[in-house]
Amino acid sequence: MKQPLVLVLAAVVLLPLVVRHAIATEIWIFAIFGLGLNLLLGYTGLLSFGQATFFGSAAYVAGYLLKYYGIGIFTALGVGIGVGALSALVVGYLCVQRAGLYFIMLTFALNQLFYFIAYQWTSVTGGEDGMPGIPRPALLGIDFRQPLAYYVLVSALFLLSLWAMQRIVESPLGKILQAIRENEVRAEALGYNVPRFKLLAFVIGGAFSGFAGVLYAMLFGIVPLEAIGFVFSGNVVFATLIGGSGSLYGPIIGSLVFIWLSESVSVLWARWPLLLGVAFVIVVLFFRGGVVEAWSRIWRFSKRAS
Amino acid sequence: MALLEARELSKSFGALTAVNAVNLRIEPGTLHSIIGPNGAGKTTLFNLLTGQFAPSAGRILFDGRDITGTRAHRIAHLGLARSFQRTNVFPAFTLLDNVWVAAFACSRSWRGLLWRRTESYAGVSAQARQALNDVGLIAKQSELAREISHGEQRQLELAIALAAAPRVLLLDEPAAGLSPEETRRMVALVRALKGRYTIVLIEHKMDIIMSVSDRISVMHFGSLIAEGTPAEIQRNPEVRRAYLGGMAA
Amino acid sequence: MNLLFGQILNGIATGMLYALMGLGLALITGILNIPNFAHGALFAVGAYLLVTVVGAIGNFWLGLLVAPLGVALLGIAIEYAGIRRLYAAGHDYQLLFTFGLALILNELIIVIWGPVGISHLPPAVLRGGVDLGFTFYPKYRLFVMAVAGLLVVLTWLFLERTRYGAIMRAGIENKEMVSLLGIDIHRLFTVAFALGAYLAGIAGALTAPIRGLSPGMGVDMLGIAFVVVALGGLGNLLGAIAAGLLIGVAQAVVAAYWTEASTAVIFAVMAAVLLVRPQGLFGIR
Repeated sequence: MKQPLVLVLAAVVLLPLVVRHAIATEIWIFAIFGLGLNLLLGYTGLLSFGQATFFGSAAYVAGYLLKYYGIGIFTALGVGIGVGALSALVVGYLCVQRAGLYFIMLTFALNQLFYFIAYQWTSVTGGEDGMPGIPRPALLGIDFRQPLAYYVLVSALFLLSLWAMQRIVESPLGKILQAIRENEVRAEALGYNVPRFKLLAFVIGGAFSGFAGVLYAMLFGIVPLEAIGFVFSGNVVFATLIGGSGSLYGPIIGSLVFIWLSESVSVLWARWPLLLGVAFVIVVLFFRGGVVEAWSRIWRFSKRAS
Repeated sequence: MALLEARELSKSFGALTAVNAVNLRIEPGTLHSIIGPNGAGKTTLFNLLTGQFAPSAGRILFDGRDITGTRAHRIAHLGLARSFQRTNVFPAFTLLDNVWVAAFACSRSWRGLLWRRTESYAGVSAQARQALNDVGLIAKQSELAREISHGEQRQLELAIALAAAPRVLLLDEPAAGLSPEETRRMVALVRALKGRYTIVLIEHKMDIIMSVSDRISVMHFGSLIAEGTPAEIQRNPEVRRAYLGGMAA
Repeated sequence: MNLLFGQILNGIATGMLYALMGLGLALITGILNIPNFAHGALFAVGAYLLVTVVGAIGNFWLGLLVAPLGVALLGIAIEYAGIRRLYAAGHDYQLLFTFGLALILNELIIVIWGPVGISHLPPAVLRGGVDLGFTFYPKYRLFVMAVAGLLVVLTWLFLERTRYGAIMRAGIENKEMVSLLGIDIHRLFTVAFALGAYLAGIAGALTAPIRGLSPGMGVDMLGIAFVVVALGGLGNLLGAIAAGLLIGVAQAVVAAYWTEASTAVIFAVMAAVLLVRPQGLFGIR
């Protein structure tokens, strides 16, 4: 069980040597985002298609406070977690009361609501142009505008998030959420208020998403409108799909593959959503379990062959 | 005083009346069986008692308190546990985890819900292991539920109900789909539980019913047509008429 | 006041289109058990196909006939080539397939027709307005109301009065039962998808002269279609109409006083209704 953790630590240390600091940072931010989604998707069995709602809302609110009120980094992160959790509470409350299909549609529709609000409220969010000028405040004398310094901070926070998520999935809550995924009727018969637990998973997922959102805003210095849009929600679902939703580490692999893919391709061609769509279709048709399952299948196959 | 009581309990789905003014009194410490042909409404009755459906009419009392309309997730906390006719376990979980979540639900305190490791709950884990032990599956605690045999899954089904340390066990055809040997073992299991729990049993197999029941209620087309000791039921002409072909004379 | 009545009429017109979208989506979602994320894209394709056909042949009526059929064919292709192949993999994967498809279609629209919005005039005979007494109302919108209403009635007749329609309704309730009755469940899926796609396509074709076309129209409409289904319920024809009209009118009325908020209002109305009635307008818990 220790082995994946060692690999992750190695990745954290080695990544900035292989790619630009900004991209490496983005990978860990996206991994945090993915951890939040996977609590819902992999562990609870809820396909939420609107995670960008919490990511983007947190980014906008924290970004606004950073820009106009000069709050500190940890305050901003706290705000991000709070806004992410609160928006997830509101959205989740409406969504968990309906079963499967409706749930998925509602997460998407409510994402659209937030998107349209962000689009129209140009005085605050900047609308289509986004909210530029987000600072990266210094802390304890460390200047985080230095890419490497920010990378160290983000990767440390990522490791902290990974540890937190691991505690959660190994806790009774983790077991209960998985029980809900495995057999919702039985879980309820055992005495668990299923909608309330789904809501709790939603809020925790939202908190992680919000946390990632603030880090994202500070990384690029801007909150683009896309950060609260449905393509972004689709991105994180796709990344989790590639990495494999069956394990804690799936979102990490997914993030690595996804960010690397999107960065290298978008330089070539601006029609990113088209490629994302094609990639979605290909992965869905041919690589269903994601990289983790494909890898374990190859592993088992080679063991049998030898 | 009856531990579990149904008074004029009814459930209709549109024009179909599944349960019709059923009266039931379960005395503490006894094993009370409910029998009847397929479609008689037995499982629907269980669904009413465990809060999965709200009744159309009538009342349910537990330990003297009116619990009519209590929702399914609250029923377990009152001390009623149920096993299902079609195996209803958590397939990807180990056997131990299957019973652990059941035991945890009704445990005294949920402190540490988000951060304590599941192994650290000594009381819950002990209770879970005890349930597996009672049904004879403790040796397989680390196996996955979807990988054990059908007979063992029925045992697990029972263990999950036991794990909550309930006062009343509602068992819906625990021997469904079991071979004669497995059925014998299941009957021995149920008999061993008789003293410790109040049991309401739905079963088809007559020999099981007759050998373990203290009292029997007979349902037909949603209504109660007879109630009494096994001897009384065997002699009852109405029951013979309704349940032709299922009874050992 | 006249402005308000005019807006309410506008709301009814767009509401009927929303109802058509919701109806098509409800059919696909109810029978295939997946929210069709490509539904908005099918709507957009319908609009763009209409404009292309009219541009090529010059006849609006032919375009109105051909474009939805084209979308229906596209729907059949999607169901056959993708969704059916993923039947064994489960609903989540079929859903993700439609999502990927939506991205592809939306982008292909930009690639083929360009990123700039297109406006499209109604056919000559439907231009201009009609004097309704309290206001002078555009003929084309009345036409849309009539056609949409006709389609809703036809769909209703199909579902309620034909044998296959009854099979479809049964399929929404209980697929196992339907296949046990010996009905080809895969053909049912294809027909449902084709019908749903047709409704989306014709809604798109009808919209073109009202709102114009833009590459983002598919995504916007997808969310709205989801709202209609969430409010109206999956098996409920009346629900789709009621929900569509509700949000259409709400949007139009708000647009008169606070234009920017008009689209957001649709989702806000949904949230408000669900807060009070989580099961939607007509649903049972």
